[in-house]
Amino acid sequence: MDDPLRPRPSLGDNYPVTGLMRAVLEKGKPFRYEARGTSMHPFIQDGDVVTVGPVPGGGPRTGDVVAFVHPATGGIRVHRVVRTDQGRYLLKGDNALGDDGSLARDAILGIVVRIERRGRPRRLGSAFHSAAVARLSRSSWFTRLCRRVRRTLARREGRA
Amino acid sequence: MMRKIDLSRTYAPSDDVVIREIEGEIVIVPLTSGIGDLEDECFTFDEWGRAIWSKLDGSRPLGTVVQELLDDYDAPAELLKGEVIGLLQELYERRMIVEKG
Repeated sequence: MDDPLRPRPSLGDNYPVTGLMRAVLEKGKPFRYEARGTSMHPFIQDGDVVTVGPVPGGGPRTGDVVAFVHPATGGIRVHRVVRTDQGRYLLKGDNALGDDGSLARDAILGIVVRIERRGRPRRLGSAFHSAAVARLSRSSWFTRLCRRVRRTLARREGRA
Repeated sequence: MMRKIDLSRTYAPSDDVVIREIEGEIVIVPLTSGIGDLEDECFTFDEWGRAIWSKLDGSRPLGTVVQELLDDYDAPAELLKGEVIGLLQELYERRMIVEKG
């Protein structure tokens, strides 16, 4: 007989893990998983491993990066709170041109408390920095500008 | 030294695990390290492990569970007993089950 208990390889982006994540958070524990996609680039990059902790009592604040259930796809996303208004949260990826809409508190699973890139922890940035990024990223011109700057820098590095 | 699994004792899933059935697969995430690590510390069972796990509800001694499995599966008694004890020992060492009585 084979080993009846087996390590489960990475659950992957399309695996329906919402219930699992909620259950972990309901026990007051954080969960750790691999984030996919580029919508939060460069703060979170494709393949970074993020740790998501329970939301504090007061709820997420503007600038917090949160894991949430996307209303259209039902999948897990990690985006930034760019505005809070009477118990609803406007979320947007730092590198996305459009927002995710104004979501109820229930849709938000938890707050990103740690990011690892290639096995090393990354700085999360201060609350002031996070709030400033949130404010700037409300308008798509800032995102377009950042994308342009990054493309220019990448081209220069390619030439050097 | 880790305690040995005893057929006269009763075992049940620990409160320090999260268990979900997802797309027909049982996924277990231990929380003993203080975090639900979906990346590096996530487990599943094969069909046989699943059959054993489904009977670990803390309601009857392990010996009764083994007898039920012998009734359900056409397997040599000693082999089956060894497999059950082996799996429970691993689950116990990983603190995924607890002794109930």
